[in-house]
Amino acid sequence: MSGVLELQFTLPLSGFTLALEHSTRSRALGVFGPSGSGKSSLVEALAGWRRGARGRIQFDGATWLDSERGIELEAARRGVGYVPQDQLLFPHLNVESNLRFGCTRDEGLVERVLRVLEIEPLRARDVATLSGGERQRVALGRALCARPRLLLLDEPFGALDRPLRRRILPYLVRAQREFDSPLVLVSHDATEIAAVCDEVLVLREGRIVARGAPSSVLTPAGELDDGFENVLRGRVSAVGASSASVDLGGVVLEVPRTALNVGERAVIAVRADDVLIARAAPSGLSARNVLPARIDELVRGPAARLRVSLGAQPLWVELTEAAIDELELAVGGKVFVVVKTRACRVLASSASA
Amino acid sequence: MLDSALVDALRLSLQVAALSTALVALPAVALGRFLARRDFPGRSLVEALAALPLYCPPTAFGFLLLRAFRRDGPLGPQALGFDLDLLLTWRGAVLASAVMSFPLVMRTARVAFENVPARLEQMAASLGASRAQVLWRVTLPLARNGLIAALLIGFSRALGEFGATVIVAGNIPGRTQTLATGIFDALQVGDDARAVQLAGWSALLGFAAVWTSEWFLRRSRSARA
Repeated sequence: MSGVLELQFTLPLSGFTLALEHSTRSRALGVFGPSGSGKSSLVEALAGWRRGARGRIQFDGATWLDSERGIELEAARRGVGYVPQDQLLFPHLNVESNLRFGCTRDEGLVERVLRVLEIEPLRARDVATLSGGERQRVALGRALCARPRLLLLDEPFGALDRPLRRRILPYLVRAQREFDSPLVLVSHDATEIAAVCDEVLVLREGRIVARGAPSSVLTPAGELDDGFENVLRGRVSAVGASSASVDLGGVVLEVPRTALNVGERAVIAVRADDVLIARAAPSGLSARNVLPARIDELVRGPAARLRVSLGAQPLWVELTEAAIDELELAVGGKVFVVVKTRACRVLASSASA
Repeated sequence: MLDSALVDALRLSLQVAALSTALVALPAVALGRFLARRDFPGRSLVEALAALPLYCPPTAFGFLLLRAFRRDGPLGPQALGFDLDLLLTWRGAVLASAVMSFPLVMRTARVAFENVPARLEQMAASLGASRAQVLWRVTLPLARNGLIAALLIGFSRALGEFGATVIVAGNIPGRTQTLATGIFDALQVGDDARAVQLAGWSALLGFAAVWTSEWFLRRSRSARA
């Protein structure tokens, strides 16, 4: 049974006050927002690294903060696994000693973490010699080895460029499945949150401006700087020579094969501007995915877009207003969604639970 | 050449410097650690008081120690009921050197601790380490080079200590005469050759200690970068 996280506190920051009121049973809570919206301060308050909050924070029955009763549990007693943006690896210890730092017993755990995060070959390395992506995996591993009651990930891949972030994301998804630790993930990358989290809070200037399931909250209307990516989940139903079929729940999507195996769960990203809409089933196309769909939502204006459902999952498509007019698109209308196999990116996969 | 008087002075200098460094190590490092991490009212007062030996004449400190430990002084045999036997002994030279090198050791140690990122200590605590474990497993290993440098600087300061030493321990050849007080003695009797010899050894030892401490300081800085 998942622990309840209760947030009801204020914390003055320079410029504005972080004021949160939220209660959740989510196993993976995302916190999304532009930089300077108070995301990191929220995590630091949860970790017990930032004092001075007023109100209440409770997790899984334990009171971490209750300013009325004068309770402010120190960081060491909260049992959180904090992965900060700058990782804070101990520079005088090698990778394995970093992992073992908070691990009191349970020999098997360290070995499992090394294996799941694929950092076994690094175990004797000096942390100063690690690459950015390796540092992130070691920091995540160290937090996991301490058997945290709650993992706090503050922009864990923030310092990495986008291709590298995407290469590391599968490790986080895999760790989440393997170690089954509830987590809070702070990120300004909507795709990351959609791939990992089942609930998201959107912060702006210290306040929650939206909350809910990532698929309903993180839409192209949000503050997404470099293009919106749809994040779809499914199960691998077949694997061919160069592509794999992922069942999204009644609808099958052809994706690049990568390292997928039949029966695995897969998380797929499709950019909203990589999808075509057709009124009639096109023929003679190289695109492998031509899927019938119904328009659920239509937004006009400079950021024109529409939403269809694939299986039960929403898929946003960005297009021009001129195209909407010419195709006479309307809510409830039947269309075909066209997606190239190569436009589907496999974000993560894992053996099904 | 090394005559027996020179060997005595050399041996006594090294012995006094080593013991005074050992004496001062724990309190100076502890205060350096405290001042590096704690802010409290009166902090600047503590800092200024701890630095007193840096800007007061050593002879003033020698005089204070003499007053404190003489027969009727507050730390003398009459008050304590037993004799610490510090005046005109090499033990007195150790005490005088320790007092004079304290601020240098403390300040260098404080900088060494300040250079350890507080967030790393916080991370260690977050991972379940107790205060003592944080100190032992994170703070001290990361401050190590700076602390070694601090002790070497204290050692070299003790080697060169003159003013307080000569008042507390005197300048008795073979018993309390160090390289520093020996130079003064040689000058007074007009033995320039001997003064040059003693000065040369002082410079050599001091240089070796300071040069080594610089090496450790450089390493502590590059470890941080």
